[in-house]
Amino acid sequence: MSNEFSIIGKPTAMVDAAEKTTGAGKYADDLSLPGMLVGKILHSPYPHACIKRIDTSRAEQLDGVVTVVTGQDAPNPYGILPVGHDEHALATDKVRYVGDNVACVVAVNEATAERALELVDVEYEVLPAYFDPEDSMKAESNFLHDNKPHNIEKDYHHVFGDPEKALAEAAYVAEARYIANEVTHAAMEPHSTLASFEIDPHTGKPGRLTVWSSTQVPYYLQHKLSLVLEMPMAQIRVIKPLVGGGFGGKSEVIPLEITAAVAARKARAPVKITYTREEVFWAHRGRPRTIIDLKTGSDKDGRITAVKARVVQDGGAYCSYGVVTILYSGALLGALYDIPNIQYDGYRVLTNKPVCGAMRGHGTVNVRFAFESQLDELAQKLGLDPAEMRRRNLLKPPCITINGLRVQSYGLPECIEQVVTRSKWNDRKGKLPKGRGLGIACSHYVSGAANSIIRSDMPHSTVNIKIDRDGGVVVYTGASDIGQGSDTMVAQIASETLGCSLNRVKVVAADTDLTPIDIGSYSSRVTFMNGNATLRAAGEVKQQIAAAAAKKMNCGSDDLIFRDDHVVRRGLANAPGDQGAISEASVSGRVEGQILRGSLQQKRKDEGPKNTLSFEEAVVAAIDFHGALSGTGSYAPPLEARGGKHKGAGVGPSPAYSYSAQVAEVSVDEETGEVTVHKVWAAHDCGRALNPTSVEGQIIGSVWMGMGQALTEEMVWKDGMLMNPGLLEYRSPSSVESPEVEPIIVESIDPEGPFGAKEASEGSLAATIPAISNAIYDAVGIRLHESPFTPERVLAALRDKRSQKKIDMTEGIDPTAPVRFREHGGSLWFKGKGPERHPLDPSRREAAEAGGDD
Amino acid sequence: MKKELIELKVNGRCYETGIEPSKLLLDALRQDLQLTGSKRGCDDSSCGACTVLIDGTPMLSCTLLAASCEGQEITTVEGVSEHGSLAAIQKAYGDWGGAQCGYCTPGFMMTVKHLLRENPEPTEDDIRRALSSNLCRCTGYTQMYQAIKAAVEAEQKGMAAAK
Amino acid sequence: MSLPQFRLLRPTTLEEAAGLLGKHTVRVLAGGTDLIPSMRQKLFEPEYVMDIRRLAGLKGISTLPDNSVEIGALTPLSDIERSPLLRQHYPVLTEAAATVASPVLRNMGTLGGNICLDTRCLWYNQSLTWRKACGFCIKKDGDLCHVAPGGTKCWAAFSGDTPPALLCLGAEVEIVGPAGKRRVALSEFYTGLGDNYRRLEQNEILTRVFLPASSAGYRGIYRKLRIRGSIDYPLAGVAVALKRSNGQVADVRLALTAVNPAPVLVKGATQFLSGKPMNEELAQATGELAAKAAKPLTTSALTPEYRREMIRVLTKRAILAAFEN
Repeated sequence: MSNEFSIIGKPTAMVDAAEKTTGAGKYADDLSLPGMLVGKILHSPYPHACIKRIDTSRAEQLDGVVTVVTGQDAPNPYGILPVGHDEHALATDKVRYVGDNVACVVAVNEATAERALELVDVEYEVLPAYFDPEDSMKAESNFLHDNKPHNIEKDYHHVFGDPEKALAEAAYVAEARYIANEVTHAAMEPHSTLASFEIDPHTGKPGRLTVWSSTQVPYYLQHKLSLVLEMPMAQIRVIKPLVGGGFGGKSEVIPLEITAAVAARKARAPVKITYTREEVFWAHRGRPRTIIDLKTGSDKDGRITAVKARVVQDGGAYCSYGVVTILYSGALLGALYDIPNIQYDGYRVLTNKPVCGAMRGHGTVNVRFAFESQLDELAQKLGLDPAEMRRRNLLKPPCITINGLRVQSYGLPECIEQVVTRSKWNDRKGKLPKGRGLGIACSHYVSGAANSIIRSDMPHSTVNIKIDRDGGVVVYTGASDIGQGSDTMVAQIASETLGCSLNRVKVVAADTDLTPIDIGSYSSRVTFMNGNATLRAAGEVKQQIAAAAAKKMNCGSDDLIFRDDHVVRRGLANAPGDQGAISEASVSGRVEGQILRGSLQQKRKDEGPKNTLSFEEAVVAAIDFHGALSGTGSYAPPLEARGGKHKGAGVGPSPAYSYSAQVAEVSVDEETGEVTVHKVWAAHDCGRALNPTSVEGQIIGSVWMGMGQALTEEMVWKDGMLMNPGLLEYRSPSSVESPEVEPIIVESIDPEGPFGAKEASEGSLAATIPAISNAIYDAVGIRLHESPFTPERVLAALRDKRSQKKIDMTEGIDPTAPVRFREHGGSLWFKGKGPERHPLDPSRREAAEAGGDD
Repeated sequence: MKKELIELKVNGRCYETGIEPSKLLLDALRQDLQLTGSKRGCDDSSCGACTVLIDGTPMLSCTLLAASCEGQEITTVEGVSEHGSLAAIQKAYGDWGGAQCGYCTPGFMMTVKHLLRENPEPTEDDIRRALSSNLCRCTGYTQMYQAIKAAVEAEQKGMAAAK
Repeated sequence: MSLPQFRLLRPTTLEEAAGLLGKHTVRVLAGGTDLIPSMRQKLFEPEYVMDIRRLAGLKGISTLPDNSVEIGALTPLSDIERSPLLRQHYPVLTEAAATVASPVLRNMGTLGGNICLDTRCLWYNQSLTWRKACGFCIKKDGDLCHVAPGGTKCWAAFSGDTPPALLCLGAEVEIVGPAGKRRVALSEFYTGLGDNYRRLEQNEILTRVFLPASSAGYRGIYRKLRIRGSIDYPLAGVAVALKRSNGQVADVRLALTAVNPAPVLVKGATQFLSGKPMNEELAQATGELAAKAAKPLTTSALTPEYRREMIRVLTKRAILAAFEN
């Protein structure tokens, strides 16, 4: 272990670990306020319909109901992207998916609110709906949004170099269609928001608003609340309590967050809304079903000469992060390998389903699955070892890729060597018993986006540090800890920089009243950006302390070393570690721990210059000089890292990229098609591992989540109905089928990262899916082009390969083919083809009450 | 429906509370007793975040009626730490990264507490099977196995020291 | 999602319970792992719920004077799984019990509850909001079937793991109602319909399970298709109880679950295998026989074609394993 640092690089328990293991920590749904009411949301039963009328009077008359909120109470649209303000917290005129938000009942308790939902009368005019992106793109009428013809949210067409020519001249070409089905975050904590207004003492009306919410982006929430509620941001305080996982699902404003505030204003009481698990699936914002038509060419030596990709994403009913997702899918074709010619055609398409958004490995995962699978196929055509194929296509950094991405630190070569060595790849690949195989794949990810969603010159992170006479270091950071450990990272960087022990540092985080702006926990930006801001803030305070300490020690402030709660002169014998010197200094600096008295005593006792000061002594000296100490640091990505000039060039650039290489060992049961992942070796270049325990946890977690997408997880749709809106049927893996993951940390020490650190928590996910699919090929010789690799898909492919009697075991591998459920059931009713509804069916009852004679 | 007065014995203490017969134990714990350590993660009895011990046996508090538990010993995560200090397993989960977001952790604490009482030296296979009632979305479970092994070692060292 | 409002009855004796059953229309609550999630989804909105967890004498496993074994309906599945007596004499039952859901759910779920488990369907086991959006089905509030449109029969699949094992063992169940006790063969307990799937009146409860002495000593294997190694309900299941002598199959029973509205004994399996030496081809042919008895539909994840195929494979494997072990 490196002795360079005393805190950085050491396995460290998270600063909030005890809160989590004792159950004392509070998540949003654990909070309550006196007089608090409960909000429950009414959801649309139709995938596409106009709202003709909402009558809330019956619901309002129910005992215990305080008010009912509808879209008219908050008519302003919003959206996470400035180009995508197409959402309403509650529908104003139209609903666009089953589960869209229609009204919110506020009542004294959950049961009453649920009963009242049944009494809200809504009259709909049902419209034709689109469930398949390739159908939806052909639409000529009844668009989801009037301003989006053919239901195309956004399309991009990028050409770098001359891909047509390069493909024509390539020695080897592989071409195929890949489909990655839709997955969701399924964070363990369902979304929850508590909103409360204070009465303004001057006007006597609802004044300041405080919102506690399970969010990754408190500042965006503050901004959108201001937009919808028409209140100045200064009147809104957003506090992020503990958050039970996000993975991107909480990285934008979710309807309940706005609705709770609107409801609290109307009900004149605090309102809490917590989603049911089913509502979490409707709120969604997960990884879209993606259809990838991919063509890759290489020369005779295995050098990739060109890539051509057409990507269609089934984005659901609103924009969300969609424009960014479709751009990432293209941009991140670059920056992993050296590819001289790229053509990318990306289509983000609207359909009548819940909204897709950002999910761990945002935009890159599905395309990486296709690309790495195809690379394996090319290697096989060339007769080249797949690991060697990857070695031959490495970048030569520092460099700028053909699509304008700046790459500085690049640990991919070492990642490949590590996993090849640890998995005994050279001895075992292709030599395992029948049915067992090894596969390799690589991936990468951004360490934060170099350009923020809302274009401005504002730094992406700012951190304040305060040290007062109690000798405690308080770090005020806007970074949102969602379980990844950012509070711990911030504490580590502050304590390492100041040379004080970790328990001296208290982190105050993600409270818009107290902490300076940080744009949120997404795109793996926090360690790089907030870490750099912390480093700078701590550096500023350290300078103040050093100046005062240098005076006392009669030396230049550059001669001082801050370490292990001491400030010592460089090169002196009683450096840290010399126990005698330390304990003596501690005694003289602290009288029963009272730094105030210590200060006076200090003045009397310390006459001559000293070689060592305790941290407290140094702080006292500085406070006597400056008053209470404070420092501010901020971070904005450098101009050189912000990418090219083409349309859409803003997405993809990052100050640094993480790299991952993985080898998966799997076995395939050839009779059942079941795939077992035995082990994954995962090497991840995170620049520097600030906290190895956390980095390893992030690598393992990413690989594991990738395995879930590869094998078991899939949102199953039948004509706009989500068939598995629960954790029982969505099937996130349990401990018994989860493989051993061997995390391998590779440290490339990035020149701009804090202590050299880069991204650690997303980049590994994307390599897992192709590593598994390539291992399946090694085991049984089938190429799987559709994820997840469920046993039925694997068995179908095995039978196909053996030209055995075909059992039609997969549903619509080609999305343009008719979906079989439409032929034999499902909600045919939506298309007006289904059987008549039962007389007791509420929709018929409602129609009758509305004056119909049905 | 009219509320009825029931007495729940939680973590060795008796609480009298008026609840509706349809109230789930999880809701009674969280809303009536303010013991918010037990979490709700699903609505279909599949995630295990609400696991508590009923007379020493792990059960899902979201799948039990509060009134059904009258007369039984209920242990929640709030009852795991010992004399105000972390139990070995709680410390180990922190040190080894067994908890990331922490939302599933209370449920795991109860499952693991039970596992180690039934089987003080579990193999990794035993651990995997015992943990398979609880879903975690962050860790991929691996660091939990390390934490549990570390806790077993710590307990054994502690016992050896006490002898 | 809160539960619907109901009155709670908590009898402590069977007599008291029987009396209450005669007086009110109740839903019986034992382990709760089936009923409570279903009540959240408003699949049941009963006026009365009778919690029978406190009923004395319905928990435990004991040998009767005639060497048959009696199991109380309230015996948790984890007790079944760990019972040395059952493991020794009726291993197919302990194997099946050990695969139910997850360890914690087995602590809660009871043998009686697993036998009475409501049939399941992706179009039925959904929230009220979901079902309203989709359109109600025959099994609850509606008159159409999403699985077999145009049909009038409900195809919801019986998805318990222990009943096929119990069928292999020729188990009988005791049912108590206002009119007293009756005892029926488990094979007579299920109707084969998805909606009215069991022959149990509203005012009756299942109290005991009996395993005949003649079924003791059969080798037993249970094989289950599921996507995860834990928590999941079976998507197909095969139970085999087999006796061998002189290298041949002396007797065999084969039962399936999760592919029909009831657990079913595969007819003809006994005649097909008895007196024959076991080999791969014979096991394969038995698989074909079993697959013919399976009528899976789109009631659960994985396509019906695949699930029927797996009945074939799992049967072959279970038969071979039961013969070899």
